[in-house]
Amino acid sequence: MSNIKIKSKNLDVFYGDKQALFDVNLDLNEKEVTALIGPSGCGKSTFIRCINRMNDVIDICKVTGNIEMDGMDINDKNLDVVALREKVGMVFQKPNPFPKSIYDNISYGPKIHGKGETKSELDQIVENSLKKSALWEEVKDRLDEPGTSLSGGQQQRLCIARAISVNPEVILMDEPCSALDPIATAKIEELIDELKKTYTIVIVTHSMAQAVRVSQKTGFFHLGKLIEVGKTEKIFKNPDNKMTQDYITGRFG
Amino acid sequence: MNFVLLFLITIFSLSLFFYGRSKTKTISIKENIKLNALPKFYGYYLVLWCSIPALVFLLVWSLFEPVIIKSIIIETAANQGAIFSDKNEANLIYEKIKAIHLGTYFGDIDSILKESALAYAKFINLFTNSKVVLIFGIIIASVIYSLKKIKNNNKARDDVEAILKGLLFVSSLIAILTTLGIIFSLLFESIKFFSVINVFDYLFGTNWSPQRAFVRDASSITAAEFEELKDAFGFIPLIAGTSFIAFIAMLVAVPIGLFSGIYMAEYASIKVRRISKPIIEILAGIPTVVYGFFAALTVGPFFRQVGENLGLTVSSESALAAGLIMGIMIIPYVSSLSDDVINSVPQSLRDGSYAVGATKSETIKQVVIPAALPGIIGSVLLAVSRAIGETMIVVMAAGLAANLTINPLESTTTITTQIVMILVGDQEFDSPKTQSAFALGLTLFIATLILNYIAQRAVKKYREKYD
Repeated sequence: MSNIKIKSKNLDVFYGDKQALFDVNLDLNEKEVTALIGPSGCGKSTFIRCINRMNDVIDICKVTGNIEMDGMDINDKNLDVVALREKVGMVFQKPNPFPKSIYDNISYGPKIHGKGETKSELDQIVENSLKKSALWEEVKDRLDEPGTSLSGGQQQRLCIARAISVNPEVILMDEPCSALDPIATAKIEELIDELKKTYTIVIVTHSMAQAVRVSQKTGFFHLGKLIEVGKTEKIFKNPDNKMTQDYITGRFG
Repeated sequence: MNFVLLFLITIFSLSLFFYGRSKTKTISIKENIKLNALPKFYGYYLVLWCSIPALVFLLVWSLFEPVIIKSIIIETAANQGAIFSDKNEANLIYEKIKAIHLGTYFGDIDSILKESALAYAKFINLFTNSKVVLIFGIIIASVIYSLKKIKNNNKARDDVEAILKGLLFVSSLIAILTTLGIIFSLLFESIKFFSVINVFDYLFGTNWSPQRAFVRDASSITAAEFEELKDAFGFIPLIAGTSFIAFIAMLVAVPIGLFSGIYMAEYASIKVRRISKPIIEILAGIPTVVYGFFAALTVGPFFRQVGENLGLTVSSESALAAGLIMGIMIIPYVSSLSDDVINSVPQSLRDGSYAVGATKSETIKQVVIPAALPGIIGSVLLAVSRAIGETMIVVMAAGLAANLTINPLESTTTITTQIVMILVGDQEFDSPKTQSAFALGLTLFIATLILNYIAQRAVKKYREKYD
């Protein structure tokens, strides 16, 4: 059994008066892929945005309860958010490369954190990140072209490379393939399989098939509540909860 | 008379609308045919046909009537023995005749004038009568034509569309033609100026003192006088003064405007934004003349006082005061435009930056600003062209003497100020002094044109697609 990397306990999230998450208790294992499934608006994205405190960006958002990474309280007011986000990378639903060159897209993070002080070190980081995200072969000759000139799938892998570049421990993926075609999706999934050797990964997805393919553990959310969580195999073959059963068989959602 | 005609045209058109609408309705019911358009379109169709030809005719007639009457009257006056040597005297006689007709002339009336006034009254009468007759003729003709069309169940909806399209086209044509007209009038007057003053003497001369050419007919300038005038129209001090003041203004407006734009877009809470944004935009609504006397009466003397205390000689009309106030005037443009472009940078880019652990200011500096750069450059260049074109503040606060200086504490002048100075008061329109205003206008126009072109190129080049 692998170690627990992130542990949430009685986690509640409010957007203004509206409660988005109710009492979520979810453990994420180290170097494993956890998939979060559920209908739109059920709180999956809200949950992963708690892990890197992205909810701070939203003024009216309030998080209560407990969420820990390696025993460190993520919700601590005095926590250095920058340091947290260095450890917890994130890939978004829509590829969002910066309007900069491919090289600058990757070197942006390391530069900010003072990694790669010399040019050659930085070059090395860029190369490694692109190799890990399986993009290196496609872009190595045009690193100074704008990141936005790449195709959608390449852009998303660029964003994964950008997340990897600061050498995180956890990578959060918010529907990373929802804007991509099946071929690009297959590449990303392959990549996730590879990345889980090094990183703890949480992926939000609307595709049940994708959850089955990439994850070892699956959590099912509905209306802000974590309905059921368990080994992916079990959730999809023999769920305990009737609602989970209905959802994965396509009866609602 | 014209108002009566307009009133009648309106009444006719309105009644035709109701007539056309009900007429087509009854036709469709009686003969059981499907109309090609809603009944109201037949009403519109009649209205347009009844009003537009008549209105166009009225407009054209009103434009040409005075000109024609004038030439006829001057000719009859000449036949009766009036003596005038040139156009101006002829105009004078015509005005006298008109005044007699209106009963507002109090000088001596000789027999020639009296006869001409009678002739004038006759012509006015004739013209008015024929105008009324012609307009009614046109209305009747066009109404008969359109009624016939309607009876044939024409596609009134399409026709109305076509007429409206024509109206819109004419409107834009007028806009373009007036612009062209302005450019050509600038161009022709400038050509007159450049036929006296060499283009290169103008462009590269370093001395601007146009009063030397005051009241001197351009056509009768002697060679000696020409030599004297040669270096009176040097453009360099003016463009230098203009750029200098604009530069000082940008020095004030760009940092403050940009930073306040960034604050508004990125840091201010909704509440602060809702209050402070309108306040900043009020700055843009203050008439520049108000800024002008603020600069001339408050800021200028204040600088002089401070300068005296520091042991500096500061002119009470200084480039610094004018530039500073102009900069303050421009702040809202830069601020509000850059606020808008920063706001239009997608949130996903900021999220991407935060997600790798960047702080807010790093995100703004390295992601948001570069993405918004084309818009920011655009807003700055817009501000520059406002600074260059601004007149009132510099007239009041920067002085009139064309000093070629880079000392911000001295008085200096700008292109627009000089145009104002040249054209204020009584003018001799043949004098190179007056014509130089048009040359300045043309140069200013070309300068802003080039600036706008560069701005657009820059924006295109640096546009970073973020979608």
